[in-house]
Amino acid sequence: MVEAYRPSSLEEALKIRADKGALPFAGGTDLMVKYRYESGAVPEYPAPVIFLTHLEEIRKIYSQDGELHLGAGTSLAELMSHSEVPELLKEAVRTIAAPGLRNTATLAGNICNASPAADGVCALYALDSRVKLSSPRSSRELAIYEFITGPGKTELREDELLTEIIIPRDRSTTRLFRKVGTRKANALSKLSIAAAARLSGERVDEVRIALGAVAPTVLRSVELEKQIQGLSRAELSERLEHFVQSYEAMVQPIDDQRSTAVYRKKVAVNLLRQFLTSIAA
Amino acid sequence: MKAQISTPIRRVDAKDKTSGAARYLADMSFEGMLYAKAVRSERPRAKILRIEVPRLPEGYTYVDASDIPAGGKNKIEMIKDDWPVFADKEVRFVGETLALIVGPDRGMLNRLCREVKVEYQDLEPALTIDEAESLKGGAIHGTDNLYADYNLRKGDPEEAFKKADRIIEDEISTGYQEHIYMEPQGVVARPEADGKLGVYFSGQCPFYVRHAVAGAMGVDEEMVRVQQAVTGGAFGGKEHYPDVISTSLAVAARKVGRPVGYFFDRVEDISYTPKRHPSRTTFRTAVDERGNVLAMDIDVKLNAGAYESCSMVVLQRAIFSVNSVYDIQNVKIRGRAFATNNVPSDAYRGFGAPQGLFAMEVHMSHLARTLGLSDLKYKSRHLIKKGGLTVTNGRIHEEVKLPEMIERIDEMSDYRRKVKEFKKGSWRGVGFSMFNHGSGFTGNGEQEIIRGVVKMRKRSDGLVDLLVSNVEMGQGLQTTFRKIAAMVLDLPVDQVVYNDPNTDLVPDSGPTCASRSIAIVGYLVQEAAKKLKARWGEEGEVLVEHRYAHPPRLHWDQEKLDGDAYPSYGWGINVIEVEVDPLTYEVETKGIWAIHDVGVAIDEKVVEGQVDGGIIQALGYGSLEKLEVKDGRFQQRTMADYTIPTSMDFPRIKSALVDNPYEYGPFGAKGAGELVFDGAAAAFADAVQMAIDRDISRIPVTPEYIMEVYEND
Repeated sequence: MVEAYRPSSLEEALKIRADKGALPFAGGTDLMVKYRYESGAVPEYPAPVIFLTHLEEIRKIYSQDGELHLGAGTSLAELMSHSEVPELLKEAVRTIAAPGLRNTATLAGNICNASPAADGVCALYALDSRVKLSSPRSSRELAIYEFITGPGKTELREDELLTEIIIPRDRSTTRLFRKVGTRKANALSKLSIAAAARLSGERVDEVRIALGAVAPTVLRSVELEKQIQGLSRAELSERLEHFVQSYEAMVQPIDDQRSTAVYRKKVAVNLLRQFLTSIAA
Repeated sequence: MKAQISTPIRRVDAKDKTSGAARYLADMSFEGMLYAKAVRSERPRAKILRIEVPRLPEGYTYVDASDIPAGGKNKIEMIKDDWPVFADKEVRFVGETLALIVGPDRGMLNRLCREVKVEYQDLEPALTIDEAESLKGGAIHGTDNLYADYNLRKGDPEEAFKKADRIIEDEISTGYQEHIYMEPQGVVARPEADGKLGVYFSGQCPFYVRHAVAGAMGVDEEMVRVQQAVTGGAFGGKEHYPDVISTSLAVAARKVGRPVGYFFDRVEDISYTPKRHPSRTTFRTAVDERGNVLAMDIDVKLNAGAYESCSMVVLQRAIFSVNSVYDIQNVKIRGRAFATNNVPSDAYRGFGAPQGLFAMEVHMSHLARTLGLSDLKYKSRHLIKKGGLTVTNGRIHEEVKLPEMIERIDEMSDYRRKVKEFKKGSWRGVGFSMFNHGSGFTGNGEQEIIRGVVKMRKRSDGLVDLLVSNVEMGQGLQTTFRKIAAMVLDLPVDQVVYNDPNTDLVPDSGPTCASRSIAIVGYLVQEAAKKLKARWGEEGEVLVEHRYAHPPRLHWDQEKLDGDAYPSYGWGINVIEVEVDPLTYEVETKGIWAIHDVGVAIDEKVVEGQVDGGIIQALGYGSLEKLEVKDGRFQQRTMADYTIPTSMDFPRIKSALVDNPYEYGPFGAKGAGELVFDGAAAAFADAVQMAIDRDISRIPVTPEYIMEVYEND
């Protein structure tokens, strides 16, 4: 049998998490697959589970100081229908699985599962997102790329819960989200790209590019972005192949049951080039 | 004029299946039932040195080859009997059953199975056709790894090759395909109060199960009673594999004296149950100065897996189909089915024909591309006609309506205009495929092996019992069989009673496969109904029967594989339009058109359902359904990784039928169930070829493969 807790407040949830080492269970759409058991058998989880999505404290979506705060308990469907959620994130979330799953799955779960192929996470990288982690005694914030450290690995401590996702306002003027999946719906990503840029006149003021499923974590190079920022569109056009090659060197995908390294690399680079071309002169 | 019978009626099983009222095997309850779980081989090829069974808790029982009753045998009698009920000396594939553990709790069974320690002496496995051909690790089967090796000849190929202006070589290959039927495999075996052994199963062929179980248990067939449960889908995957589960469960049920059920989990089902045979076909084709085909030398190889099962017959259908709808005057064909250390390949909708037809159709398109000729014009020059000779030197006895169908599908799809408009390599393409499919068993199957019987009984309450062993498995038989009987008898459809078959109650009208249910058994239903109608005035119960008789105009020599391989053929054309994304190589299918000659549709809506399902399943086969083997294990084992199409992947299909009544079919009907699968993969490949202006030579045509073909040109 699975030992399960349904706390009535976030405070109680944090205490159970700390005391029991319970597994945070939000929509459950990853956990139920991970710990699936053959038909007719009772599932076995390595730890007690703690249900969370009913908690009012983490079901809010609100803006504060120009930033959007997404409560960890909000479902993908809820955030898709919220007016202040950035379009880039909505586009990514729209490609996740199918409506039934999006009604129950959460973005917080998508983050904590820490798959390099997570579509929502790819967009969060490109949006400079942060996560709020709470424990019974304190709370802290980490950038999304600091929080996720490898496939299935995060900085979440044994007494912490991810309670909020914080997204700075997206002021981009050009965006691209593209998921290349195993089919058109209910599909897992072979690779994905989430990119945003702000152009003012002929100048590239800001650019953020994230590539999914081509490295152990979502790939984003702030270094390369800095080199692009401030260039005129004509200058970017001249140096476009240089930047494409720099990204190409960083793209290190693998062969697996869904695709090949060669394909992932080629197509990631094609899509990246398409985006850079769209913002260059 | 459309035949009256073709007018659709509401499907008899629609309400129960859509409302959830239908009771599938797992919904049925059997008092005191225990569950079984297989201890499976972890190795593709090894000798079994020792098996250490953990101490089992009370109520749990270990069942293996030593439990097979005296008089029984550790062999599953299918077409061949090389597949053991329980592996006891060696294992030949990953997932082979070594033993069952039986008990009340399925979680406990999973744990106990994991605790069984098997000591193996590993042998070198042969997994691919090439490895099997080179006898890697020594022969798995016989001395040459060949389950079957056939040679066909038509005309004088040697002489024709001498006259060749040019010889063009080609190699076409196809991959595995998993059935993904609605509900996974499931069987319950129960010792019955009357001393018989009851078997309840989801599947296609009740008498196959009875035969296999009786053989393994060493009892008369009458001592085994098989009851089909509501079956949501099978596609050939439940043609023979239920024999594999039933035999071991029968041994277990006898040992414990209680009902024992085994309901496969989806991952278990994908990992260990049979698949469509992968194939590789090479062509050497001689053409004259105008490009016309003078002769072909064709070599077909199938990867048949670890046990033979039905591979020899699949191979027959593959090579009999490998000239498709074309009349090639001089042909030499060799076909071989290779033993490998993979999960045994077995029946799957089309039964070898899709592999042969795909290879030929794609080869014809390659010839046209190589010669710089129009695809459709080139293919049309070679079409077979009524009276034409097949590759087994049989005749096409029916009118071939392909020329009329070509015009019709051109109107529907605007094919010819699109070919002109879409330039080669423009990332847009339109593909065209033609195909035919023999209805009924191959060769001597119907007249010598199956010899189907149908019975029909007028009851004293006025209802009519239709007694056949064929099953409803989603293809609409509950509706179409009733329609045939009701129309002959001039009764309302609901006065014909047709229950899921029970082998104690129905005669053996043969298995539900090979596009034979309507074309062969449906005709027996019609003829039995005519007999009953003639005796309708008689008082009380009236029982009639009708037996299969081979149409007198057909001849067949099974030794030489010579003559009319099939009594009749269904015919079809598919057109598919695509756009390929130049950045991601993903294919967007823009349109699908189909036209079929199935003789006469017994129900247009039922046939439309077959067309829609068959084409989408074939497009999955042709574009999405990648199933790779590594170290003898399938790499795509979940429905997330083994991707069949969803409703988002392909547009609505526009389809039409042409009537071409068949003399020996009920109301003129021929088979439809497999035909509708046969053409879409080739039309898809052809469309992609035009879009990227490169030859496509294998399926599935994944974006990865398109990139490889495009980049490596």
